[in-house]
Amino acid sequence: MAKRVRRPAPDEDFQDPLSNYDPIEYQDKLERALIEDDTREMKLTPIATVEPSTTVAEAMQQMHDHGIAAVLVATGDNLMGLFSERDVLTKIADRFDDVKNHPVAEFMTLDILCAHETDSPAFALNVMATQGFRHLPILNVDSKLVGILGPRRVMSYLTDRFEKGA
Amino acid sequence: MGLRQDILNDSIEKLELRELIAVRPTTSVRAAIGLMRRKGLGCAVAVDDAGKPLGKFTERALISLLMEHKDALDRRVGDHLAEEWVSLKITDPISKLLECMQEKGLRFVVVVDDDGRAIGLTGQKGLMEYVAEHFPRAVLVQPMVSRVGMDEREGA
Repeated sequence: MAKRVRRPAPDEDFQDPLSNYDPIEYQDKLERALIEDDTREMKLTPIATVEPSTTVAEAMQQMHDHGIAAVLVATGDNLMGLFSERDVLTKIADRFDDVKNHPVAEFMTLDILCAHETDSPAFALNVMATQGFRHLPILNVDSKLVGILGPRRVMSYLTDRFEKGA
Repeated sequence: MGLRQDILNDSIEKLELRELIAVRPTTSVRAAIGLMRRKGLGCAVAVDDAGKPLGKFTERALISLLMEHKDALDRRVGDHLAEEWVSLKITDPISKLLECMQEKGLRFVVVVDDDGRAIGLTGQKGLMEYVAEHFPRAVLVQPMVSRVGMDEREGA
């Protein structure tokens, strides 16, 4: 007769897969909001976009007229790059007359980072703060452009949540 | 203490101050933007003989100049300082910085010492860095960011 092997009871050998998971402890509502909100809770629109063929002067005129620091360069919902005040300072200012009729695509910043609308505000801030990008395009799950975050909108969100945390 | 209390209690001294680009009001735009480019800053501060701030010359002002004047780069920065600017003491609370920036829509604030001398710049970036430091796990547990040019998300 085969010897019956006693298997250990589940609770003797069971290892909780969440045993090393430390849930976040929030000290206040502001912290909770920054982690648990997503970027859709922040103001992401309007989005100022220009076509890659838009001239430098036209793009700068749009920035000047609307008092904005950057425009996204896109064809439809497909993001190509970003053209900002910093690009004007570093690439355009000394030779404005020579390049003002050139397409903005020649001078836009190409290798920009994006975040998704389901990312948390804390994540977006981390990316902006650590990677040195002042503007962060926001994409939906289909990787289509749905908004943009910049310092002004971040400040607005922080102020709002700061005041609500009182 | 939480982030909110830290913002109320901590002073501007806790923020990373940017090096100040101090120029005279008579400095040319060309010279000022040369300094701004080298230092990677979007703002130069015009100061008087005692080092006290008179106003800011910003990238935004540069764009306005280029759009409106043929001789933009030869003009004096002193004639094109930002209308709205604020200086705060390094001992002022961060909450005051947040309030000022939000109310006046400022990107930079000039930080002064007890004698009113300009010692650095701070603003939106400094504040974002301060807040981000409270959430180091936010980048550890989130997926990698998208980069422009991806046709579709990876994975399922």
